[in-house]
Amino acid sequence: MNAQTPPRPEAPAPVGLLAELTHRCPLRCPYCSNPLELDRRSGELDTATWQRVLTEAAGLGVLHVHLSGGEPTARNDIVEITKTCADLGLYSNLITSGVGGALDKLQALYDVGLDHVQLSVQGVDAQNAEKIGGLRNAQPQKMVFAAKVVELGLPLTLNSVIHRGNIHEVEGFIDLAVKLGAKRLEVAHTQYYGWAFVNRAALMPNKAQVDESIRLVEAARERLKGQLVIDLVVPDYYAKYPKACAGGWGRKLMNVTPQGKVLPCHAAETISGLEFWHVTDHSLGEIWRDSPAFTAYRGTDWMQEPCRSCDRREKDWGGCRCQALALAGDAAATDPACSLSPLHAKVRALAVEEAAETPPDYVYRTIGSNIRSPLKEGAPS
Amino acid sequence: MNAIFPTPDAAESERLLSPEELEAALRDIGARRYHILHPFHRLLHDGKLSKDQVRAWALNRYYYQAMIPVKDAAVLARMHDAELRRVWRQRIVDHDGDAPGDGGIERWLKLAEGVGFARDYVLSTRGILSATKFAVEAYVHFVAERTLLEAIASSLTEMFSPTIISERVAGMLKNYDFITKDTLAYFDKRLTQAPRDADFALDYVKRHATTPELQRKAMEALTFKCNVLWVQLDALYFAYVAPGMIPPDAWQPGVGLVAAPQQAAGPRRTAPGDTPRLPRGVRMRYDETRGKHVLLAPERTFDLDDNAVAVLKLVDGSRTVSGIADELGKVYAADPRAIEADICVMLDGLAEKRVLER
Repeated sequence: MNAQTPPRPEAPAPVGLLAELTHRCPLRCPYCSNPLELDRRSGELDTATWQRVLTEAAGLGVLHVHLSGGEPTARNDIVEITKTCADLGLYSNLITSGVGGALDKLQALYDVGLDHVQLSVQGVDAQNAEKIGGLRNAQPQKMVFAAKVVELGLPLTLNSVIHRGNIHEVEGFIDLAVKLGAKRLEVAHTQYYGWAFVNRAALMPNKAQVDESIRLVEAARERLKGQLVIDLVVPDYYAKYPKACAGGWGRKLMNVTPQGKVLPCHAAETISGLEFWHVTDHSLGEIWRDSPAFTAYRGTDWMQEPCRSCDRREKDWGGCRCQALALAGDAAATDPACSLSPLHAKVRALAVEEAAETPPDYVYRTIGSNIRSPLKEGAPS
Repeated sequence: MNAIFPTPDAAESERLLSPEELEAALRDIGARRYHILHPFHRLLHDGKLSKDQVRAWALNRYYYQAMIPVKDAAVLARMHDAELRRVWRQRIVDHDGDAPGDGGIERWLKLAEGVGFARDYVLSTRGILSATKFAVEAYVHFVAERTLLEAIASSLTEMFSPTIISERVAGMLKNYDFITKDTLAYFDKRLTQAPRDADFALDYVKRHATTPELQRKAMEALTFKCNVLWVQLDALYFAYVAPGMIPPDAWQPGVGLVAAPQQAAGPRRTAPGDTPRLPRGVRMRYDETRGKHVLLAPERTFDLDDNAVAVLKLVDGSRTVSGIADELGKVYAADPRAIEADICVMLDGLAEKRVLER
């Protein structure tokens, strides 16, 4: 290390890399974690660059690579990229919608050594699921895809993002996971960043619904021990303490966008003034260690009160910076999802208020113009 | 007025006791009459009761727990001083909680569920011994009808409860495999709540029992309360231990329980003849950056200790658990049958997380 650099929190070796291979996706979920301004295909990194990024990631100590998007199988080189992961010993996790070209590529992905599939399901009832995902005929494709994953012997995780439009289906998700032969189920309450922040009033469930969903999950966990593992992400606005977003800023994860920008978390671009470095300009190691975006909130030096003197500061690392900015207007503030934040009562009241109102229509995610369109006719592959 | 039950000499002296003497006399009542001394409690804490006998205790004691806020509301209704009420109402909050799912009664329900009862059966209070109901209701009437000083003094059994709770928790965890720490969550809270409540009540009694007559009343009230607790155990002993005379309408073993298959739920245990294997999507690798082996699995990484690494290196889908134990026995010069059991426990843990198949 250069002796002239001022002392800075040491960067621990990263564990995971979220590779957002593309923002293209046949679904248009109103809680999509992609940024409001989506990258276009013309700007996407090429195969060789992704392979270099993966090689550098393995060298830094990354163990898990999450091949995500958008819909990662929309890329023609998804099989090649997955093979690179396998060759490097990286654990490859395909995060997919299961629609579009996903089914056609599944066998080839299996053959090159894909480790795990995480399939999103928007709802249990097909009509409801397709309304949420904004694509007709998506549900049957997903079911066929899931069956094929299990038939190949690949471990399957179902991911259900929970909000007021499907919170009544929590038990149904559990049954569906068992029926499909999934080993894991993620019951993930919506986190309100990006598109979900725009659609918050349409998505926010009330406290009683949230409590009931937690109770159902806990009962099912007990009942299905050894058969299905259920991970539960509780909604921030009703929580007592915030989540350690991405395991702490610049501590475990990094996110590479379709155009090669490296972010400490997928929503970090909402924080204006942060300088992100690009994999075409710097090595991944340099970016992880030295890029201004990663050093900005790494460790605890940047914290204000009440985080600064809090016992939990190295547990939840102050919560989510993007949410602090969105709700408190200051990315270095305590995440208002935390009950110790002076803004917590306001945030909670907001959630209660929005959950009590008739939900507005979804604003579906789209690339380019941000229009409210009716249900898009799907083109089954 | 003569005491109904013998009380310490200090009470009979008819002289005014100092506050310290009064406290000593009250503590002496507990030392001789508190239900920790009851044979049923000795059996409970020493692990001598059957599961059904523990159930009978949990069920009947629920009635007492559920009536405590009723009792405290009756005490509260007699307090004319807002400051007193503010302190006393905390007892109701402790028991009822601030929201559904919270509070001492709820934690007692968890305990009853923990020993196998269906929640609705417990809530219905069908099956509670009549003697339990009579004793508990006598307590509620007592605090409503006697003086406030007596009502408060009757709560002083809380001075003795931390001892009984510590004994109970330790004894029950040690002696009953069907009792877990979670089941006993009720007592965790009471360990801090009871002394706080008792300090206040004791201070009140010491300050307000200002004549020999009032002091004797306070001692009688505490004696009465000890007996409320004692006779409940008498009734339990009579019905469920010896001679085992269960009244016609009281709980019978087997009634009101959650169906057995659900209790027996859970994954199958690993046996020595099983052939473990890591399924597709789970693999062990050496992590050079961190200098250790890790087990990579869907969305998670397991840190492994040296023993786990040694076992997993031999998990190849063809060796049985016994075979693995044999190999390790050679390497570590240990009895393979002894390490076999440890291997089974470790593999059970992984199977439960769905990262190992057998």
